[in-house]
Amino acid sequence: MRSNATRLALVGAATVTAVGVGRAVTRRRRRHQPQREDGWYVVRRAVTVDRPVAAVISFWTERERLDRALAEWATLEQIDGNRWRCVSRDPDTGATEWRAEITVTGPGRLRWQVTGGPEQQGTVELVPAPQGRGTEIRAELRYRSGPLRRALGLAAGDEPDLRLRDTLRRVKSLIECGQLIDTRRDPSGRSPAQERRTDEIRQRLTTGGRA
Amino acid sequence: MKALCWEGVGKLKVRDVPEPRVRAAGDIIVRVRASSVCGSDLHLINGFIPAMREGDILGHEFTGEVVEVGPGVRRLAVGDRVVVGSVVACGGCWYCRTEQYSLCDNSNPQPVFAEKLWGHSPAGIVGYSHAAGGYSGSHAEYVRVPFGDVGAFKVPDGVPDDAVVFASDAMPTGWMAADFCGLTGGEVVAVWGAGGVGQMAARAAQLLGAERVIMVDRLPERLAVAADRLGVETVNYADTDVLEALREMTAGRGPDACIDAVGMESHDVGPGYAYDKAKQTARLQTDRPTCVRQAIMAARKGGTVSIVGVYAGLVDKFPLGAAMNKALVLRMGQMHAQRYIPMLLDRLAAGEIDPGYLATHPLPLDQGARGYEIFEKKEDGCLRTVLHPA
Repeated sequence: MRSNATRLALVGAATVTAVGVGRAVTRRRRRHQPQREDGWYVVRRAVTVDRPVAAVISFWTERERLDRALAEWATLEQIDGNRWRCVSRDPDTGATEWRAEITVTGPGRLRWQVTGGPEQQGTVELVPAPQGRGTEIRAELRYRSGPLRRALGLAAGDEPDLRLRDTLRRVKSLIECGQLIDTRRDPSGRSPAQERRTDEIRQRLTTGGRA
Repeated sequence: MKALCWEGVGKLKVRDVPEPRVRAAGDIIVRVRASSVCGSDLHLINGFIPAMREGDILGHEFTGEVVEVGPGVRRLAVGDRVVVGSVVACGGCWYCRTEQYSLCDNSNPQPVFAEKLWGHSPAGIVGYSHAAGGYSGSHAEYVRVPFGDVGAFKVPDGVPDDAVVFASDAMPTGWMAADFCGLTGGEVVAVWGAGGVGQMAARAAQLLGAERVIMVDRLPERLAVAADRLGVETVNYADTDVLEALREMTAGRGPDACIDAVGMESHDVGPGYAYDKAKQTARLQTDRPTCVRQAIMAARKGGTVSIVGVYAGLVDKFPLGAAMNKALVLRMGQMHAQRYIPMLLDRLAAGEIDPGYLATHPLPLDQGARGYEIFEKKEDGCLRTVLHPA
């Protein structure tokens, strides 16, 4: 039979452990949360492209190349000198996902805002990378969401932060090697059902990757 | 077409699969003439490298003939006989432009797993699981090669398929292992693993100036082949204390450079090995680092340890203290195929390296599963099984 003192010590130790673990988990979770400002989530993501700033800018100003790059997932049309309208499409269904207005705010700087679709806006800035390593494309994205929606989005692979990372990786690949590698639909000994399941896993291994 | 598919841990089967098509401007389609098994395939087959899916086509070391080219291909034409590097490289990123092809930024379209495990994703590899991009492998009649201009090289006339096939992986891997050693002439180099990569590393070390090469393995027939073909000295760890032997052979100094051409499934004798194997089986460690431990302990003070055997994740009892206090240089990596292949093809054509003897077991693709069994169990003096789809 244990004494009351022993019981008390055990309960005390268990409480201290639980509180400690709980605090550690909370702190870790907080570290993974993006910054919040006036009700907006703010995430900053960047990618390094091995080309000078001028080459990165010219990629976006050469119309034919840009159209080829955007191909099936967006169209871009100029409104006036500094403003563009972008319409994003779902590559699988062709349905319009959102419309955005893009404003060039200076050399290597632009601002964009979604006009028809989810509440989002952001900026993109091109900065020369050190050691002649090319250009850092730095993007800031502001979007409305909540902790639960963000958690569900991250779990389902459908979240603005993940989209931003994917987009930056895509842009880098298009500029550096002119294409996006895709190994879906390569030969395999899978049945159609196994292939669908494998495509889901491919999607999970792709979404949010940083290159 | 027929292809050798992974059907679950330890299970392989030849299946009928659709033929690959050109999907991007830089793609080429190669009709495979020879496709070798590789020690690193065993890690995939045995489930030690994750993200394999049922139906994946294996094979990453191959040679063949170009049968179709994408509109963006400049260097190659239909009918060219080519050997293709195992790592996929885009040719346009900083790593490719500085000839560090196996670190290519753009060739793994599924980088999330590698990023979680390693911080960043290196290049994709043909036929090497979904963690390395999910590319279909070369144990098939046809294979799609992305960035054909970057990864495929014309084969010199007169070099047979069963020799040039090793320019795809074993030769560049071996060469890079020796290159890591920074040889300037006269060194003693020890090589763990007398398989295809180890023997190519030994030959490369000789060509780069090593005075003596000592190979460590447990299979007397492999050591005998190495001694006979390359004139190396040998140590059989099954009946010899490797560290003592290497110390005596170098009059107390230890080898100037030690090459690990074995990797995560290395063998040993004794209770320590049983412990490592049990831990790996229970997934308490992903890799068995026996060779690299020995290499670090054996290397001379200030020497180099060069690791080209494949490791996937975490190891136990890594002697970092020995490496630190002996001021060792540790170099490692997947090989930069595209950097070395042109030079290796020249040496092949000149007869300086002749890897043809590694192809001890040429077999038709239909017998692929049996071919891997012979290779894994080292039956009948097998160094490499080479599959021929046609």
